[in-house]
Amino acid sequence: MLFGTYKDDEAYLWKKFQAPEFDPATGLDKDTAAVKIVVIAELDEPAPILKAKAFEFLAKNLQIEVDPHDFFPAFGCWQRLPRVIRKFLDKLGEKVVLHKKELWNLLNASGSSHIWIDFDHSVPEWNEVFSRGFPGLLKNAMEWREKHRAAGTLDAEKDAYFEGIRITYEAILTMLERFIERAKVHKNERCDFVAASLQRLHDGPPQNFFDALQLIYLYFMFSEHMDHLQVRSLGNLDNMLTPFYDRDLADGTFTDEQMRELFDHFFMQWGSIDNYWGQPVYLGGTKADGTTQINHMTHFILDEAAKLHLPTPKIQIKIAKNTPDAFIEKVLALIRDQHQSIVLVGEEGLRHIMTSHGFTEEDARTCDIRGCYEFCCRGKYHANTTGVGHLNMLKPFELIFNKGIDKKTGKRVGVEIPPLETLTTFDEFYRLYIRDIGWIIDSNIEVVNDFEAQLNRINPSNVFSPTIPHSLRTGLDAFHNGCDYNTSSLLTTGFGSAIDALSVVEELIYRRKEITLQEMADALNANWEGYEELHRKILAFKERYGNGIPRVDRFAQMLSRTVGNLVNDRPNARGGRWQSSVHCAKQFVVEGNLTGATPDGRFAGEEMSKNASPRMGSDVNGVTALLKSVLSIDAASFPGDYPLDVMMHPSSVQGSDGLAAWRKFVRVYFAGNGAAVHFNIFDASELKAAQKEPEKYKGMQIRVCGWNVRFTEMDKSEQDMYIRRAESIIE
Amino acid sequence: MTSAKYIDVKRFAVHDGPGVRTTLFLKGCSLRCIWCHNPESRPMQPELAIHYPKCTCCGECAKVCSCHSIVNGVHEFDRAACKACGKCESACPAGALELFGKSMTVDEAAAKLLEDKIFYEDGGGITISGGEPLLQSGFCVELLKKMKEEGIHCAVDTCGLVPWTAFEEVLPYTDMFLYDFKCADPEKHRKLTGSRNERILENLKKLDETGKEIEIRMIMVPEHNMAESDLRAAGEFLGKLKHVSAVRLLAYHSLARSKFKAVGHPDTMPDVESPNAEALERCAEILRSYSINAINSLK
Repeated sequence: MLFGTYKDDEAYLWKKFQAPEFDPATGLDKDTAAVKIVVIAELDEPAPILKAKAFEFLAKNLQIEVDPHDFFPAFGCWQRLPRVIRKFLDKLGEKVVLHKKELWNLLNASGSSHIWIDFDHSVPEWNEVFSRGFPGLLKNAMEWREKHRAAGTLDAEKDAYFEGIRITYEAILTMLERFIERAKVHKNERCDFVAASLQRLHDGPPQNFFDALQLIYLYFMFSEHMDHLQVRSLGNLDNMLTPFYDRDLADGTFTDEQMRELFDHFFMQWGSIDNYWGQPVYLGGTKADGTTQINHMTHFILDEAAKLHLPTPKIQIKIAKNTPDAFIEKVLALIRDQHQSIVLVGEEGLRHIMTSHGFTEEDARTCDIRGCYEFCCRGKYHANTTGVGHLNMLKPFELIFNKGIDKKTGKRVGVEIPPLETLTTFDEFYRLYIRDIGWIIDSNIEVVNDFEAQLNRINPSNVFSPTIPHSLRTGLDAFHNGCDYNTSSLLTTGFGSAIDALSVVEELIYRRKEITLQEMADALNANWEGYEELHRKILAFKERYGNGIPRVDRFAQMLSRTVGNLVNDRPNARGGRWQSSVHCAKQFVVEGNLTGATPDGRFAGEEMSKNASPRMGSDVNGVTALLKSVLSIDAASFPGDYPLDVMMHPSSVQGSDGLAAWRKFVRVYFAGNGAAVHFNIFDASELKAAQKEPEKYKGMQIRVCGWNVRFTEMDKSEQDMYIRRAESIIE
Repeated sequence: MTSAKYIDVKRFAVHDGPGVRTTLFLKGCSLRCIWCHNPESRPMQPELAIHYPKCTCCGECAKVCSCHSIVNGVHEFDRAACKACGKCESACPAGALELFGKSMTVDEAAAKLLEDKIFYEDGGGITISGGEPLLQSGFCVELLKKMKEEGIHCAVDTCGLVPWTAFEEVLPYTDMFLYDFKCADPEKHRKLTGSRNERILENLKKLDETGKEIEIRMIMVPEHNMAESDLRAAGEFLGKLKHVSAVRLLAYHSLARSKFKAVGHPDTMPDVESPNAEALERCAEILRSYSINAINSLK
C-alpha cells in the first residue's frame, strides 16, 4: 500500500540508520569505499576538484536502497563517525601546513580552550535549494562560471572552485539515477512513487509536498554524510512547506492525512539517525508586515512531532510580541509533556543583538536559527559561522593560585603570575584574572586564524557553495570566505561558575577577610582535602550568580562586556570577524575535567556552569531572580548566541494557571532581550538524581499542594513519597 | 516604621492567586490545623528550625551559642533556652539552621516584593499569606497601600479567624481575598483546627457583602473533611455567597512533616494518603451542584 502503513514501516525506519542492511550487488560497502577514495587525495590537483572526485566515486559506487517500507532512499554511508570521506580528508589535510600546532596542543591539553576545525555548522540557503533543485543549482553555478570567464575573473583557483561544484552536482544527479533504477527493481507501488519523486528532483525543483521533504532529506544526506559538512538546520520548515501543503491540498494531490504520514516518515529519518546533538529545525518568525508567521503548518509540524515524541529533530521556535499567547501555551504544554528538546528563541533579543553589531532590522527579522541556538543572516545576505574554541572561564583561577602552572600538563600557561601576597586588593586580583582570560582569547584566535586561513583547502564545500549567491558571485568557497559574512565564534565555558568564584574571592578574602589568598591556594591545590570546614563554608555561601544579587550580577556584566570587547569584531582569517558566544555545548564537562579546584567550591574535575546559566543548584531564589541576574547582562555582548537553561518540575507549571505564569516568564525574558531559553521539566528520575546529589538541585521546586517547596529541603521519606507520586503520574 | 515578623518570601508563586506573584508569608497563626503545611508560621515569636538531614555535627553553632552542643556525634539543642538571636544560623556552614520570624519593615518588604514587578503585568501581583497575615494587620495595611501606589494587584490569603476590624483596615487596598475554608460544622472545625468557625464564617459573609473578589481554598484531607456530608454542608454555605469567583480544591499532602520536627512542634499531620485527581473531582462535582465554580487543582 502507498499510504496508511506507518505503523508497519516503523520497525524498518528505526533499523534504517541503526542496523542497516544493503544488497551487496548495489555497490561497495562504506569501509571499502572509504579506503578506495584515499588515493584520490594524492593526485596533484586543486583541493575542490580532488574532493569532488572522491564524492563522485562515492555517488557512483556506494551501496544504496529504496525500501518498500520507506519514502526516502537509503545511503550506504549512514554512520557519522567516521564519515566515509574522513580518511580522504585526513590525507588531503597533510598538504596543509599548520604553524600554531604547539600552542593549539597546549590550549587543548590544559583545557584552557578546546579547539577543533569546525565543519559542523553549514546551513544552505534553502530558498535557493527549493527554487532551483539540484539541476538548477548546477546550471546556475555553471552560468556564473561563464560570467567570470567573460569578465576575465576566472583565475585557476576560481575555475577549480566551479569545477568542484560541476563534478559534485553531476555526481548527485548520477546517484539520483541509481536510486531511480534501484526503486524500479522492487516493482512496488511505494517504490514507484518514490522513483517518480526522485525523477522530478533529478529534472528540476520540487513540485509537491513530498518532493520538498525528499529534497531536504537528500540535500542533508549529500552534504552531511557524503561531503562532510554538517547541515545544522533543516530550515524554517513551516514557512518552507506551507505553499506546497496548501497547493497539494487544494488540487487534491495529497490529503492532509497523507501529508502527515509523509511527514512522519521524514522526521523519523532523524529519529533513526539519532545524533546526540539533535537535528535542528526552526518554526515561526515575523512577516515583513509585522504579523506572525505562525500558521497551520506550524501547528501541523508541532502536532506530528508531539505524536512521534522523538528527541530529535529538535525544534527551535521564534517567539515575538506578535506570537499568539495560545500558541506559546501550546508549546509550553508540549515541553511540560517531556518534549524538552524544544528551544524558544526571542526575536526581540535577536534584533537587539544584531542591530548592535551593524546588521539591519530586516537582517534580524529574516535571520536563520541554526545549530543549538545560534543565529545569523539569511535572506539578502548570508553568513556562515564556525564554532572554534571554548574559552575556559575558570582556568585562570587554577593558574593564579598555582603560580601559572597548569596542573594537567605541568606546563606554564597564561600570563606571568606574581606572588599572591602582592595582590593586596581585589581590583589587582581581578585585573590579573582578566589578563589571563585575555591571554587565552588571544592564543585561541592565533591558532584558529592559522588554520581557518586554509579552510577551503582542508575541506572544500562543494555541495554547500552553490546554494549561496555571494559565493557564486565571488567564486569563493562558501564555508571559507564566500558568504557575505564569514564569522568565527569563540564560545565561553563556565561563565556562571567564574562569577561565583569572583564573588567568593571578593567577599570572603578581600571584604570579610575570613580567608587569605594563600589559604585559598592551599585548599585548592589540595582539592579541598584537609580543608573540609572551609569547603562547607564556601558551599553554604549564597551570594552566587542567578539569585538576583546586584553585587554578584555586577560581575556578570563586567565579564560579559570584557569578553565581548576582547573578542567581538576582531578580524578572522576568512575576511570576516570574530564574535563571542556564551553557549558551551558539552565543554562544561570536558573542560571541567581538565580544571583544578576553584574558589566557587568546585572540586577538581567537576563540571562547570553551562551557557548563560548558573551552576546547577546555586540559584536558590527562584526563576524570577534567575532572570533578573541573566537580564542584567547586555545580550549584545554575545552576538554568537546567548542561551539560558531553566529547570522546573512539572508540578510547578501544573494546570492552566501554571501554564499562563510560565508564558509570562517567557514573555518577560524575551522582552528583556533574552535570546534563547531551554526548559528542563523534571520527572521522577530527575527527582531521584536530586535526592542523590542535593547540592546540584538546590533550586528545584516542586508543587506540593497550592504552593511550591524546594525538593532538597524535604526529608528523604517525603522525597520518596513525591518520587512515587511522580512515577505514578508518568504511568 | 512598622515592621512584621515573617517566615519567607516566595517568588514566581503561581498558585497563590492569579498570574505570576510574589508571596510574603507572615508569622503567627490563629488556627492550629492538624494538617498545617507551614508549622513554622504558627507561633508569633521567632523560632529556630533545625534541618537535621543537613546537619554535619561540625559544632560551629556550639561555638557561638550555648543552646547547641554536640554530644557523642549528635546535635543537641536546648530550645527552651533559645533566645532566637540568630548567631547560630550565621555560623552554620551547612545551612542546617534557619531562623523563622525575623523582622522586616514595610519598606524592606515593599522593596523585596517590587523586585519582580515586571512579572506582575497581565493579572499577576503580590500576595500576603502566612500564618494568618491579618494578625499583623497594621503592617499589611501599610504594605498594601504602597503596593497599590505602584499599581500592583494585591491579594490577602487568610484563614478568617481575626477581628472584622482587621478586614476593614485592609479592604481599601486589597483586590482579592484567598479565604481558607476547612469545614462547615463548628464542632468538627474545632477538632481539626483548634477553633470553632462561627467567627470565620461570619467574617466571610461580611467580606462577601463588600463585593470584593473572593477565592475559597479548601485543602481536602481524606477521612477528615471529604465526606459527602462535609461537602454538601460546605456547598450549602458557599453557594449562597455572591462574590466567590472560585472554590479551589487543593490536595492534602504530608510533605510538611519534616518541618514539624525542624521547629520542634508535635507532629499532628494525619497519616493518610494524598487524594488523587479523581477523588478531588468527586468533591468538585458535589460543590458544582450548588452552582459553585469548583476547581480541581490536580487537573
